[in-house]
Amino acid sequence: MNLRLKLGLAILAVFVVGSFTLPFFTSIDPSVQGTYPKGLPMSWQHPLGTNSQGQDIFWLLVFAVRNSLGLGIVVGIVITIIATLVGLSAGYIGGWYERVVLMVMDSFIAIPVFPILIVLGTLVRGQTSFVILGAVLVVFGWAWGSRTIRSMALSLREREFVSMARFSGSSGLRIITREIFPYVYAYMVVGFINTVLFVINTEAGLAVIGLSKVEVPTLGSIVFWALNYNAMLVGPLSWIVAPTVATVLLFLGLFLTSTGYNDMYAVRRGRA
Amino acid sequence: MMRRRSRTLLVLMATVLTLAFAACEVPTTGGQGPGGTAGQGEMTDVGTPRHETLVVQTFDRKTDNPALHNPLMSTYAVWRGFRELGWGYLWETDTATGESYPELADGMPEVLNDEHTKFRIRLKKGIYWSDGVEFTADDVIYTLDTYFEHKDKLTYFGVATITGYVKSYKKIDNYTFEVETVNPAYDLTTVLGVYTWGSALNIVPKHVFEKQKDVASFQNTKPVTLGPYVVKDFDRNGFWQLWERRKDWKRSAWGWMGEPKPKYVLYKDFGPEETRVLAFIQNQYDVDTFMSPDSIKGAMQRNEAITTYSSKLPYHNMDDACSYGLLLNHHKPPLDKPEVRWALALSLDLQSVGINALNGEFKASPLPMVDTRILRPIYFEPLLPWLEDFKLPDGYQPFDPDFAQKLTKRLEDDQIADPADLPKNAEEASESFGVGWWKYDPAEAERLLNSVGIRKNAQGVYTLPDGKVWQLDLVIPGDWNKVMQRVGFSIADSLRKTGIRVNARQVDNAEFGNVQNTNAKLTALLNWTNCIFNPNYLNAWRSIQPEFLMDANAGEQIVGNQYRWRNPEVFELVDQATRTDPESPEFHAIGRSILQHFVTDMAYINIMNIPTTIPTNNTYWTNFPKQENPYAVPYTWWSSFKKILVSIKPAKR
Amino acid sequence: MGLVQYVLQRLVAYLVVLFVGITVTFFLPRVMPSDPIDNYIAQLQNQAGQTLSPQAAQEIRASLAELYGLQGNLASQYVGYLKRVFLGFDFGPSFSAFPRPVSEIILAALPWTIGLLVTTTLLAWIIGNLIGLLAGYFHNRRSATVLEVIGVVLFPIPYYILAISLILLLAYTWQIFPLTTTIRPGVMTLDQIGSILYNSALPALTLVLAGFGWNILSMKSLAYSTKEEPYVTFARLKGVREGSIMTRYVFRNALLPQVTGLALSIGTIFSGALLTEMLFSYPGLGLMMRTAAGAGDYNLLYGTMTISIVAVATAAFVIDLVYPLFDPRIRFR
Repeated sequence: MNLRLKLGLAILAVFVVGSFTLPFFTSIDPSVQGTYPKGLPMSWQHPLGTNSQGQDIFWLLVFAVRNSLGLGIVVGIVITIIATLVGLSAGYIGGWYERVVLMVMDSFIAIPVFPILIVLGTLVRGQTSFVILGAVLVVFGWAWGSRTIRSMALSLREREFVSMARFSGSSGLRIITREIFPYVYAYMVVGFINTVLFVINTEAGLAVIGLSKVEVPTLGSIVFWALNYNAMLVGPLSWIVAPTVATVLLFLGLFLTSTGYNDMYAVRRGRA
Repeated sequence: MMRRRSRTLLVLMATVLTLAFAACEVPTTGGQGPGGTAGQGEMTDVGTPRHETLVVQTFDRKTDNPALHNPLMSTYAVWRGFRELGWGYLWETDTATGESYPELADGMPEVLNDEHTKFRIRLKKGIYWSDGVEFTADDVIYTLDTYFEHKDKLTYFGVATITGYVKSYKKIDNYTFEVETVNPAYDLTTVLGVYTWGSALNIVPKHVFEKQKDVASFQNTKPVTLGPYVVKDFDRNGFWQLWERRKDWKRSAWGWMGEPKPKYVLYKDFGPEETRVLAFIQNQYDVDTFMSPDSIKGAMQRNEAITTYSSKLPYHNMDDACSYGLLLNHHKPPLDKPEVRWALALSLDLQSVGINALNGEFKASPLPMVDTRILRPIYFEPLLPWLEDFKLPDGYQPFDPDFAQKLTKRLEDDQIADPADLPKNAEEASESFGVGWWKYDPAEAERLLNSVGIRKNAQGVYTLPDGKVWQLDLVIPGDWNKVMQRVGFSIADSLRKTGIRVNARQVDNAEFGNVQNTNAKLTALLNWTNCIFNPNYLNAWRSIQPEFLMDANAGEQIVGNQYRWRNPEVFELVDQATRTDPESPEFHAIGRSILQHFVTDMAYINIMNIPTTIPTNNTYWTNFPKQENPYAVPYTWWSSFKKILVSIKPAKR
Repeated sequence: MGLVQYVLQRLVAYLVVLFVGITVTFFLPRVMPSDPIDNYIAQLQNQAGQTLSPQAAQEIRASLAELYGLQGNLASQYVGYLKRVFLGFDFGPSFSAFPRPVSEIILAALPWTIGLLVTTTLLAWIIGNLIGLLAGYFHNRRSATVLEVIGVVLFPIPYYILAISLILLLAYTWQIFPLTTTIRPGVMTLDQIGSILYNSALPALTLVLAGFGWNILSMKSLAYSTKEEPYVTFARLKGVREGSIMTRYVFRNALLPQVTGLALSIGTIFSGALLTEMLFSYPGLGLMMRTAAGAGDYNLLYGTMTISIVAVATAAFVIDLVYPLFDPRIRFR
């Protein structure tokens, strides 16, 4: 294990362990308003102070990281799996199958997501949950990655080593998993990280159009309320800095893990 | 090697982050911007001398139809100053007193018959359109002709209003005409003239409009005006519009009020609040419109020239005609029961809501009406003893006359407000925070709910008689009204604490009106309604009549009475009021009776006056209306803007 | 399989995508809960202080249905819609800016969006890919790590916060750029162009900074894995210069997926950059779509969505056509 991977895993471990265990140590729901006086400075009782709604920013952040991370990882995994399966199979199998899949993919890419989300937001009428939200994100998120992976598979299909494998009688599945997959793998991991972030950032936008719930703490909803109360100008600054730093660190953890893993993988394949 | 690289990585990351957030450390000495000091020679973004230009934030941000200046179409760029600077009206509303005054008309209408249906109206002489043609009764007659002739394609709301209100009209001479109304009319000056925001009768220049093939598709860009300003230029994308004072402003519709001081008036959108407040600190504009209390605080800390309407809490102007309240659909069980509506009122901790959402900068009102200088002596003060004695059927007294003082104490104890800005005694507290509100008493609310079979389950959540959890769907405005958005979420938060399962849902402005008006869509809604500015309440309550009600599942829209309130005694009272002179004591007494019914039934949970947050910047212009100098309300819409333009003074340099 | 057949097949697929997309956009807004006429009447009541009688409201309703072209059933509206759109680029009148035609509103906003977004998307793509290439190719050097860090840190910052930070720095603390966009009408003189560029500089900067992080990271990972390919090792052993290995062997191959990405993001330009346009009061399509949705103006919403669909589908079509030029290994199949 190289240092990158170690560092990345350490950051992720802190986030995952912290945000999933700490909530058991408090009896207070951080999303309730007016629990504490407004705008208290940082202290031992309130490590990040309290905000203009009388909520403790630290606890808000803990719950937010848990909710955002949970949503992001689940949706990210589902999207990455779908995108890879669809993209690889379309690129490799070709023929009518590819054409139909491509058409579906292109239709999904072509329809602008934003107005559609507004329509959906009004249709589910506030009865939203993270499950619905996740489903919506999957439906509109899979096509982009699929298309990229398909184009990679398309070019790989014609490469010498793939042709070689084909001539030597390997089955299609075997070629996809053994020969092509390792090449798209690097891209997939970056794509996964990107999807996690896409989910975390999109959730914030969706909250505003009524497709998510802004009372539930997420990294997005904290920023939403901090901007609403203009924390950037009036303070407390920790209200807006904390979720931003958390987002960046979370990303860093994911990124270091993936590149570190890539390095290790490369070393194992003996090509470093 | 590996280790050093990672360290570099971390150090670099920290540096970049620090840089990114250095930006957030806004210096406290702002206002040195393009126009930091009020010197000569500075220009606005649109090329006019800054010290001769009054710059105001637009009311509607961006307009969709910037080139359409035809007031007979509903979608014209009305919020770009046409109502205030461009047109003239027969009668205007004095925003300081609530009374009508003649603008184009020469005096009040003369009543010609006992039924109160025939009137003679005289016009002022010597008023001219901006192209030099004289304004006469012909223009009024032509406008009325056009309304009736093209009512099927003119979309301006006044066309429907006037054609249903006026029966006939005729010109007597160049400065006199007569009107006959369909029904006895006591409100001629506010229907043919202005009631608060606008008038149904937008008089157009005959000599321009009669030449058009189609008055509905006529753009009228850079129109001939009756007011003292003309459109000099405007943004084709709808973000700004520039007006220039007419050389002959004296003979314009309200030239008789005196000289409007700014040579130019610029309406401009300075963006969402995050950027707008920065532009305000940089003295780029003079008057804002509905900035949130926190941004105002931030701006005042950084620029001394910026002030709120009052230096005392609640800081903002509270004279708007409408008030915020919780609209409950009486058709939707269990909201059909007065016990449930009362329980909701008693479960609402208004003190906390006002502090969490608005820093305590609000004025509560227990009656479905705004508590203002104009309305308080007529409706609030006479009803106070009744409110204090008022009992629910179980004998409980819900009114809390000490609401304002308790709020004062809490704002002081929790160090939310500067003690110097707080009221000193009960009287001042009532001036600041209102005459009182309902007690916060979840225990009584539970008793009331239990009495109709709604009980808490093991988790402490209320369930309906059939055992299902009672879920209250509360619709609130989305980002397009930040203050209401916050108040709404705080209300939901407050109700949840007492065990009511609230589902707060924010919606866009188009859907908002739809929810309000459609039975099938409405359960509960935080909205502004009961807009009453002067003692004539009929505009708000005229529609509380059986023929306006829709059945419970109706998909078509209701007109008025959005609470779906069915009370035969009130129907009778409203009917009586339409046949009474609105300036008579009888009319006011009827109004008080209706208010008592509102309270007894808890037909509508009124909450607070709209906090009209209009900070001003004194760098270039001074003498804006303020609490200590209330010559008009501080709005840049309504007739108040006319009064402001003739009263402000250039800042001394 | 010949070239003609290949192109024909793609063309059919392209038309199918267009048809599906446009049909979906026609029906989706129809299920929106806000009916434009009801919205309008609700607005009137709020404005007029409820002076409308139910009869007056009914009359307005009938005349508006006719004016807005909303009479008749869904099927006949749909057929009429397809006809108007394909034959005349006519989306009917806007509801919120009635009677202004939707196509006119879109055409007014289009140049702003295209100007801003084509420039920034290209810049972000070029800069990001160059940095990514260097970072991936020289992944053992410290300078590469520096470049990577820029990507890692910039990319995850929520756009709104990044943009406001830049505004605070460059329009408030140091007043280099204007806070909001102010365009004065007039002919396209040199001054006018200068003023437009000056007003667009800050929004453009935020978009480039927000956009290129992703390009750095994805290019880096692609360059890094391509660099280890046998043919690159072979070239190195053959003694090809490092510089030309980097450009001709690594860059060219790693670029392929990035070209796809670029073409597709050029397509999405037509739904605008909502947050940027909101924050800077920039008169583009994104802001327009947001207000149209808010006001329930679905003619305007259709119009923009349709343009966006045509643009993205066309971009995808073009990629398919030119892909063989970039990657000769793909035969026309």
